[in-house]
Amino acid sequence: MSIANKADYQNFTLLSYHHIPSVHHLEIFEEAGGYEMMKKCFTLDPEKIKEEVKNSGLRGRGGAGFPTGVKWGFFSKDRNQRKYLLCNADESEPGTFKDRYLLEINPHILVEGMIISAFALGTQRGYIYIRGEFYEQAMILEKAVKDAYKRGYLGKNILGSGFDFELVVHRGAGAYICGEETGLISSLEGQKGRPKLKPPFPAIKGYRGLPTIVNNVETLAAVPWIMRCGAAAYKKWGTEKSPGTKLFSISGDVNRPGVFELPLGIPLIEVIEKHCEGVREGNKLKAVIPGGSSAPIFTAEIAKEVRMDYEDIAQKGSMLGSGAIIVLDETRSIPDILKWTLEFYHHESCGQCTPCREGTGWMEKIFKRAEQGEGKLSDIELLDKVAFNMRGRTICALSDAAAMPTQGIIKAFRGELESYIKIQMKNR
Amino acid sequence: MKKFEFNTANKKKYQELLTHYDDIQSALMPVLHLAQEQHSWLSPEVVAHISELMGIPEIKINEVISFYDMFYDHPTARNVVQVCTNITCSMFGGREIHKGILDHFQLHNMRPSQDGKLYIQKMECLGACEMAPCMRINNIYEGHLTLKTAVQKLEVLP
Ligand SMILES: Cc1cc2nc3c(=O)[nH]c(=O)nc-3n(C[C@H](O)[C@H](O)[C@H](O)COP(=O)(O)O)c2cc1C
Ligand code: SF4
Ligand code: FES
Repeated sequence: MSIANKADYQNFTLLSYHHIPSVHHLEIFEEAGGYEMMKKCFTLDPEKIKEEVKNSGLRGRGGAGFPTGVKWGFFSKDRNQRKYLLCNADESEPGTFKDRYLLEINPHILVEGMIISAFALGTQRGYIYIRGEFYEQAMILEKAVKDAYKRGYLGKNILGSGFDFELVVHRGAGAYICGEETGLISSLEGQKGRPKLKPPFPAIKGYRGLPTIVNNVETLAAVPWIMRCGAAAYKKWGTEKSPGTKLFSISGDVNRPGVFELPLGIPLIEVIEKHCEGVREGNKLKAVIPGGSSAPIFTAEIAKEVRMDYEDIAQKGSMLGSGAIIVLDETRSIPDILKWTLEFYHHESCGQCTPCREGTGWMEKIFKRAEQGEGKLSDIELLDKVAFNMRGRTICALSDAAAMPTQGIIKAFRGELESYIKIQMKNR
Repeated sequence: MKKFEFNTANKKKYQELLTHYDDIQSALMPVLHLAQEQHSWLSPEVVAHISELMGIPEIKINEVISFYDMFYDHPTARNVVQVCTNITCSMFGGREIHKGILDHFQLHNMRPSQDGKLYIQKMECLGACEMAPCMRINNIYEGHLTLKTAVQKLEVLP
C-alpha cells in the first residue's frame, strides 16, 4: 500500500485521514489504520479509557469548552442502567462548518470515536443528531453506520466483547436551538426543541429522563487519536489549559476560506496570513469574529495580538466558541453585521424565557428604527442596557449568545454605530 | 379530502424507524421527514394519519411541525430552494440573491410558484460559509453564487 493511503497521525489528530481518497469507505479507512483503536479498546478497562481522555485535557468542541473527561466523570458507572450517548452534529452556530467537513469526508472517524466512547461510558444506544440541512452528510453517515453494523462493529456483542451498542443517525429539521444540548434532547424526544432548565444536567437526567452524555462531533472524533497516541502526546499541542488541536472554520474576507486543523494557541494573525493566505484583495483587516456569531467581535488591533486558545480569547473579552472565525476587511460595515446578528437571534429564540424572547425582539426593533433614520444616539445605551438585562437569567445560553456580540460591537465600534445613526437620520 | 397513507416502501421504512427508538414519540421527527419526502408537505391528512399510526395527538404533531423551519404545514413545490442570508453569505450578497430570485420569478418568500415549480425560503446559516454566498436546491448545496448564476440554476430545474 502506498504511503498516500496511510493516516497521518503525526500532523493531525482529526484530519489524519482526510488526504486519503474515498476514505468514507470502511475498507479504505480500515486499511489506513481506522478501527484499530476500537478493537484495542475492547481489551481495556473502560475506566482506563475515561482516564486517558481526562488526562488529555480534551475540552468540548461544541462551544462551551467543558473538559470532556470531567463531564464523563459525572456519568453513572452502572453498565446495566439504560443510558445514552448523543453526538451533537447540529452545527448551526453561524460561521461554523467544521463538523460537516470532518464527517462528510471521514464519517468513520466519528463512528469509531463513538463506539470507543460508548464502551468507556457503558451506553447501550447512541444517536448522531445532525442538522436537517445536512441531508447528504446524513446519508454518508447512515452508509458508514450500516457498513459498521455489517462488519460487526455495531450491534450486539461487538466482536465478541460482550458489549452492545446501537447507533442511529437522527436528522433535525432546521432550528438553531436544537444545538443547545437540552434543546437537542427535547427535539430527539419528538418535541419542540425547547431547552430544559439545568440542573439536573443531562449526564444525570437527560434523554427520556435517563443519564445522557452529549458531545460535539469534533470532541468524539478526537477520542481514537487520544487512545492511539496517548494523553501526553495530545498535550504536546496547544497550551496548558487548551491542549490539543482544533478545527477552525474560517470564512469572510480571506483569500482561502475553509477548515483547518491547527494547534490551539496559534496566533489568529498566523491563521489569517499563513493558512488563509491573507485578507482578500490585499485589503486591510478591520475586525474578526473569533468564535461564531455569539462571540464578541475583535478590532483588527486585538485580532493581531490574540492567540486562539480558550484562555487568551477570554482574557481579551471574547470566546473561542465553536472555532468559527469570520474575517472582515476595511470595506465592511459593522452596523450590517449587527443587524444580521440581531435578526438571527430574534428568529431563533424559542420564546420560553421572557428576557430572551422580549430582548431579542426589542434589540432588533431598536436597530431597525435607527436604520429607518428614526434613531437617536442614546439608542446605543438602550441596546447595551437591553443586552445587559438578557444575561445570566434564562433557561439556556441563547439569550447570552445574543447579548454578548451586541455588547461587544458597542464596545469595539461605538464610533461607527454613532455615525451610522446620524447618517441614517440625515438620509431619512 | 384525499386520505394519506405511506406507500409500500415507506410502510416498511416506518416500521424500521420505530425500532431505532426506545419510545414511539422519539420517532416522530424521522416519521415526519419520511412523510414529507413522500408528500412534499405535511398536510392535515398526513398529520391525521401519523397521529393515528403513532397515537400522538394531532395538536402535538402540529406544534412540532410549526417549530422547525424544514417541516412545512403548507404546500411547497417540486423544488425547494433555501437561500442563506446569515452573516458570511450576506457579506457576499446573499440577501440580494434572495430578493433578486423572488423578483425574477415574481414570487414571495415561502409561497410556491403558480406552476408548482419553485418554493424559495430565506434561511439562517446553512453551515457552508466557506462557499458563501450559498443556497440549497433540494438538498444539494450550491455555493459561490451570483444572482445571475443562482437564477440560471433555478431556471433549468424541472
Ligand atoms: C444556543 C446554543 C447553540 C449551540 N449549538 C451547538 C451546536 O450546534 N453544536 C454543538 O456541538 N454544540 C452546540 N452548543 C453547545 C451544547 O449545548 C453542548 O455544550 C455541547 O454539545 C456539548 O458537547 P461538547 O462538550 O463536546 O462541546 C450550543 C449551545 C447553545 C447555548
Ligand atoms: S434563553 Fe431563549 S432560546 Fe434559551 S430557552 Fe430561553 S427563550 Fe429559549
Ligand atoms: S452564513 Fe451562509 S452558510 Fe453560513
